[in-house]
Amino acid sequence: MTTSQTLAGNTGWRLKIDGWTLGTAAVSTAVMLPIVAVIILAFTPGDDIWGHLTSTVLPLYITTTVQLMIGVGTGTFFIGVGGAWLVTIYRFPGKRFFEWALLLPMAMPAYVIAYVYTDVLEYAGPVQGALRHLFGWTSIRQYWFPEIRSLGGAVSMMTLVLYPYVYLLARAAFLEQSVGVLEASRVLGRSQWQSFYSVALPLARPAIVIGLSLVLMETLNDFGTVDFFAVYTFTLGIFDVWMNMSNIAGAAQLASLMLLFVIALVLAERFARRKKRFHQTTTTYKNLPGYKLGSIKGLLATVVCTLPVVLGFALPSIVLATYAVIHFDGDVVVQVIQTAGNSLLLSGTAALIAVIVAIFMAYGVRIKGGPVLKVMTRIAALGYAVPGSVLAVGVIAVLASLDNSIDGFMRQHFGFSSGLLFSGTVAAVIFGYLVRFLALSFGTVEASLTKITPSMDGAARTLGHGPFATLRRVHLPLMKTSILTAGMLVFVDGMKELPLTIILRPFNFQTLATYVHQFASDEQLGEASLAALAIVGTGIIPVILLSYAIRKSRPGNEIA
Amino acid sequence: MKGLLIHGVSHAYGDHKVLDKVAVVVPAGELVCLLGPSGCGKSTLLRLAAGLEVLQEGSIVIDDVTVASNTVHMEPEKRRIGFMFQDYALFPHLSVLDNVIFGMVGSAPAKARSRAMEMLDQVDMVNQASKYPHMLSGGQQQRIALARALAPEPKLLLLDEPFSGLDTNMRARIREETLGVLKQFGVATLMVTHDPEEAMFMADRIKILGSDGRILQAARPHEIYYHPKHEFVAKMFGLMNRFDGVVSHAQVQTPLGSVAAPDMADGTKVQVLIRPEGIVLESHEDASGTAVELLSTHLLGHDNIVRVRLASGSSSELYVRVHHAFEPELALGIKAIIDPDYAFVFPLDGEESGSSSLVKAAQ
Repeated sequence: MTTSQTLAGNTGWRLKIDGWTLGTAAVSTAVMLPIVAVIILAFTPGDDIWGHLTSTVLPLYITTTVQLMIGVGTGTFFIGVGGAWLVTIYRFPGKRFFEWALLLPMAMPAYVIAYVYTDVLEYAGPVQGALRHLFGWTSIRQYWFPEIRSLGGAVSMMTLVLYPYVYLLARAAFLEQSVGVLEASRVLGRSQWQSFYSVALPLARPAIVIGLSLVLMETLNDFGTVDFFAVYTFTLGIFDVWMNMSNIAGAAQLASLMLLFVIALVLAERFARRKKRFHQTTTTYKNLPGYKLGSIKGLLATVVCTLPVVLGFALPSIVLATYAVIHFDGDVVVQVIQTAGNSLLLSGTAALIAVIVAIFMAYGVRIKGGPVLKVMTRIAALGYAVPGSVLAVGVIAVLASLDNSIDGFMRQHFGFSSGLLFSGTVAAVIFGYLVRFLALSFGTVEASLTKITPSMDGAARTLGHGPFATLRRVHLPLMKTSILTAGMLVFVDGMKELPLTIILRPFNFQTLATYVHQFASDEQLGEASLAALAIVGTGIIPVILLSYAIRKSRPGNEIA
Repeated sequence: MKGLLIHGVSHAYGDHKVLDKVAVVVPAGELVCLLGPSGCGKSTLLRLAAGLEVLQEGSIVIDDVTVASNTVHMEPEKRRIGFMFQDYALFPHLSVLDNVIFGMVGSAPAKARSRAMEMLDQVDMVNQASKYPHMLSGGQQQRIALARALAPEPKLLLLDEPFSGLDTNMRARIREETLGVLKQFGVATLMVTHDPEEAMFMADRIKILGSDGRILQAARPHEIYYHPKHEFVAKMFGLMNRFDGVVSHAQVQTPLGSVAAPDMADGTKVQVLIRPEGIVLESHEDASGTAVELLSTHLLGHDNIVRVRLASGSSSELYVRVHHAFEPELALGIKAIIDPDYAFVFPLDGEESGSSSLVKAAQ
């Protein structure tokens, strides 16, 4: 037998163009384009405003942004990780309730609670009014009251609604940990607290870092809150330069500087993750210990878990509901239902596509490896870091050039003009959401894929299943929970998305978020309250599903 | 030829060469063991044969079809190979039965199912068919993994440390069962292990892979044990007694008598390695040999380990395995001689020479 004989009948050429490599590269490129467009735009010669910016507002933008990030990062870390640890490991009054209730603020956009708390806490609001009444004060000069429309206020608002990202990922990580390692740590002489600090926390670190990086990216992106509170972050600066100075290149230049922040963030996350690749060391699961807390400690745990839920969800919801009842109006109801349909369409489609794309990319990298694919997917997942408003510029640039080329092709070959096919359509908004939120689905799917040991792939492949069949029959079922998580993260964020939607939406097309923004920023919270409640309401359903799925996903854990 | 033919395979991770021009032939019906220390590239060879890793140099042929060479890379799912992973890699979301059915791509569902049940019957796991992997013990998981690998009737079976996850009692039993099943199926099998005893028990032939990625010796188990061609091979099976010496007239003198060193030039510095069972102790009036002092005896069950010291005053210990209850008559003194079947002479290349000493197992 010679080699030449066998070559004729062989099934696989090493050099054949590989579908997975090509597909992954193509998808990554499509998602990358708007980001690349922004960077190109930033380096396109135009009015160079650097000199002007550095001498005036740039130092303010940088310090404010850094302060905001530190504040929100610290706050979400403590609430998210602490809450996750409490409800996962201990038994105390209300534990079962808090398991899912702690996720509720996720349904609440930062700008919505900013509107609500401003309304409640401002001089004319009920709190200060009640204080004045109680103590007989008659003017602002007689007492001190924290100013909600401030940096501290923005930190509080964002912490209250963003901590669930950290909570969600930390809790999933704690649940996936084998209780065996915790018991080993206890037996080796570490206390509960030491075990948490030296075993559980390091094991959960990749997940927590992902959660924190999501939080910080959201913080960088926020427009509604900082706009309303006049907190001069980068994003607000970009809007200022773009909207008020009509300087798109300048806005893109600011954005590219901001991108450095984010790249640092992403690299830190990647580094932390690469350093430790945790595979589950044991396949045997046991029920979680459920340490019972004494009455004082238990009560304390209950209070600690109650605060974020009340402040981040219950109180603002009650305020909104009260307003909705007071300002009830049939016309508003019809409008809100129609708007809600639009929001569902956009977010649902975007979530579906984002999950499919994420699976495709993460799995492509897993089976094909290679530094080029890896870098491409990393860049594609950077969309989350780019502020929605700036990303919108990239999307507009890409779609306009696509429309123009199709139009040109049609004119040349068929003699008619196809006009603007994508620009200013629902598809443009969905594409924008996809670019923006791919990091959410990709990060989640990839993290979950990493946890599947490579021998699973080997087993399926040697048992006669190709890469696609292996994905369908082994990885997808094993990643079910994470895929659901990924979809829900994108969905909820889509429902809340504001700046991107404002810019990319078709003419007169309202989503719940744009509707709320339009009225609430005009201090007409009454008119906006029903739509805001609708955003919050749609956000709750996935939150409950999510919590249930996480609990169920753990083998050996009884379903409560 | 039916079976596996690996020719001239070299593989490196970066600068680290783990396989160096390795050749392995596994005819149908034979079980070949690749024995070597951890991290020596044994598993890499299996992954190359399965197509889970892309070949860098050489060729791999299965049943007369080149599945990997410089120009060919057949995808693993096309190779019809059974692979049993060290961690078994059972799919946690599928029942035992569905795990076994998984590989029978293209069979009608009813047929696949009945074949899977047959396989489960072979490994005595029929009544566990509807359970999930996490509900099974390690030994049961191992059997399922074996059944799953064999169910699609592979042309070649690859076993990666198949018994390393089992406790000692279980291991001996499962090993025997597995061997029975494999013999019955008559499939060409390449197994990787770091445990020499396991290799001796399972293999028709053993290939010993050194830590430099080269095959040091390939032979039947008997040959490997009684005629190790390399110091490394001799040391794989546990502690050895060692004397250093110089060849003279094709002989080496040791304190326990001379050992033949054919084919070695006079004046060559050598080490003589003697297995613990290669030193014979006697204590009766006619006993010949060198006088030794008893230090201690340790009953291991079916045999004894006896520690002795040369009576001549040399401080070094000898380690002797005795196959019967050892009750010396101390009054007569104990004499030791070498059984030449268990003594091996290897040149001392460059290594500094000591006197006699115990040598730890190579792994």
